[in-house]
Amino acid sequence: MIPTRRATVAAIAALGLVGQARAADSPVVAAAADLASALPEVAAAFQRRSGKSVKLVFGSSGGFTQQILAGAPFEVFLSADEGYVAKLARAGRTEGPGELYAIGRIGLFLPDGSPLKNDMSLQDLGRAAQDGRLTRFAIANPEHAPYGRAARQALEHAGVWAAVRPKLVLGENVGQTTQFAASGSTQGGIIPLSLAAEPEVKRKGKFVLIPDDYYEPLRQRAALIKHAGPTARAFYGFLQTPEARAILATYGFALPR
Amino acid sequence: MAERGLSVRLAQAGPIPLDAALACAPGEVLGIVGPSGAGKTTLLRAIAGLCRVDTGRVVVDEAVWFDSALGLDVAPHRRAVGLVFQEHALFPHLTAMGNVATALTHRPRAERPIRAAELLRRVHLEGLEDRKPAELSGGQRQRVAIARALARDPKVLLLDEPFSAVDRRTRTRLHAEIAELRDGLSVPMLLVTHDIDEVVRLADRIALLDRGEVRLEGATSQVLESPLARELVWGETAALASRND
Amino acid sequence: MNPEVGGIGASGMDWEALAVSLRLAGWTAIILLPLALLLARALAFHRVPGKGVIEALVAAPLMLPPTVLGFYLLTLFAGGAPLGRAWAAVFGHPLAFSFSGLLAASLVFNLPFAAQPMQRAFESLPPDVREAAWVSGLAPWAAFWRIELPLAWPGIASAFALTFAHTMGEFGVVLMVGGSIPGQTRTLALAIYDRMQAFDYRAAGAMSAALLAVSIVAIALVQGLSRRVGRRNG
Repeated sequence: MIPTRRATVAAIAALGLVGQARAADSPVVAAAADLASALPEVAAAFQRRSGKSVKLVFGSSGGFTQQILAGAPFEVFLSADEGYVAKLARAGRTEGPGELYAIGRIGLFLPDGSPLKNDMSLQDLGRAAQDGRLTRFAIANPEHAPYGRAARQALEHAGVWAAVRPKLVLGENVGQTTQFAASGSTQGGIIPLSLAAEPEVKRKGKFVLIPDDYYEPLRQRAALIKHAGPTARAFYGFLQTPEARAILATYGFALPR
Repeated sequence: MAERGLSVRLAQAGPIPLDAALACAPGEVLGIVGPSGAGKTTLLRAIAGLCRVDTGRVVVDEAVWFDSALGLDVAPHRRAVGLVFQEHALFPHLTAMGNVATALTHRPRAERPIRAAELLRRVHLEGLEDRKPAELSGGQRQRVAIARALARDPKVLLLDEPFSAVDRRTRTRLHAEIAELRDGLSVPMLLVTHDIDEVVRLADRIALLDRGEVRLEGATSQVLESPLARELVWGETAALASRND
Repeated sequence: MNPEVGGIGASGMDWEALAVSLRLAGWTAIILLPLALLLARALAFHRVPGKGVIEALVAAPLMLPPTVLGFYLLTLFAGGAPLGRAWAAVFGHPLAFSFSGLLAASLVFNLPFAAQPMQRAFESLPPDVREAAWVSGLAPWAAFWRIELPLAWPGIASAFALTFAHTMGEFGVVLMVGGSIPGQTRTLALAIYDRMQAFDYRAAGAMSAALLAVSIVAIALVQGLSRRVGRRNG
């Protein structure tokens, strides 16, 4: 008796060698790292409501876009901007253009003991870069993290980009950037408002919002990836409910509309 | 060339040049002497099947083990050969009994322990069967090696400088034991050695090997007294034999 | 902040990630060791043509930065590449970002850890002991099984310990090829990174301690076994 291909695949999967194609019971959601504090709470609320659970993976929006293009099995993607979702939609990887779910904001974080001043106009930052108070400043990598891009825009708008640039430490995503800024190995950094509210971060320093007109708004768009299962769809829909939005708001996200 | 016993003809250009023909009758001990690098060990290894010589023929009791013209080269584990290595080459993880038993795969399972014990008795190692090589003296190890070689029920027994790593007193004792053993054996035996006492004591005939060629062959005393032997053998072996004292 | 990710215990240990790590290390050992053994033995005992090149290739994962290795493997395994596509045709999802992709990558980056100790163990066998086995009537397979293997086993055990510990700790290649998907490709090492980014230092510390313990045990084992290889074949 020659085993059918299906049976063989099932046997190998049972051995734990090959994963299932779609974990329909607990789909994987790829989310921008600025959601690392807020999204677990949203997911917990979703579980209470529907009885279903999702798995969360945090990273940079650009990184996830690459992985999804290479076939990574994420079913929902929460980007920190709109451009990456548009890119995936153009490549035919999403079901539709996605939906705006939040608007993010950035601010200046200074760890305790930093010689920098709490100046939201960033002028002091520029002066510090020149007079030697500043040796290392953390932002997310503008190449693949929308928050990093926004940080760069803000620095350029304030006219201090050229001075600060040689002192930059680039985080692979905003989570890592926040680590750098809070750890004391830098004199400060530009991090998302949503992560500044994190207790571990809060007690390590001071945070002040950077004016909105310094950078293009971080319009965060979510999309359902092609062939998503029913739980993923339910979660995607849940993002737009008042309950989910309320949670996001407590973390400093402004809401669309 | 004898019909029974060992008949060897081997030739190669390198790495060790060889161009030798030998014969050894059943029950006869042929000593092989000569300067280092003469090809003595190569000869023995070729007979055992451990190295391949370019051209030649090895026949034992009418069984052809090697014939370059026919492209025939029987693998060493299929040749009923007993080889006693210079450095005993015992299996370190097995006991004396275990070492000897390894060579008894051609015998029925039930017989093996009995035969192994018997062989160890013959080499005067009764009581030491359960010792590992690390727990035996140099002389005892060589005895195990001899017992293992005999366990194979070999059609030809090869001894490659078997006692050179052992001190003089033990060596003399082992000579006596080998002499005793060989009386009970009816197979051709080749003994490669640098020790003149050994060859005088044990060998019926000697072949003098130099640069791969048999320069002289004949009865032990005759060969040893020849001018050639004086030149090739005495000068060197005197130095080597005193090394282990 | 609540750890939503499944399988986290009170100490902060991510049991799911530990399970992934153990499965990866286990399957790598089961598949790689026999293959590496054959290769190591061939390199030790036979005059293999291009032996130098093969040995360099075996050692390559040691020299290459993990990101380089990860990059090439990801390129090979991704959905667009021939290998990735063929795999997807059979199993319904690409080789990259799956446990099997991780396993395939693990077989590659562990090759030197598996093959080199075994090659050294085989090379340290006195050649006349092998020859003695043959002239004692043991066919090559029997000689391998009864003589070579028991004498080389400390090297084999070393290879296992090194491969296991290395797989438990590997980070760069695993992250690039696997994508840190919980339950499938998020190993313990990646879970530590993830928890750190979430400011959950307690969990990161618990898991780091566990990995450190694994490494220490592996090192102690390997050192003890290396001494035995020397002594045994003396």
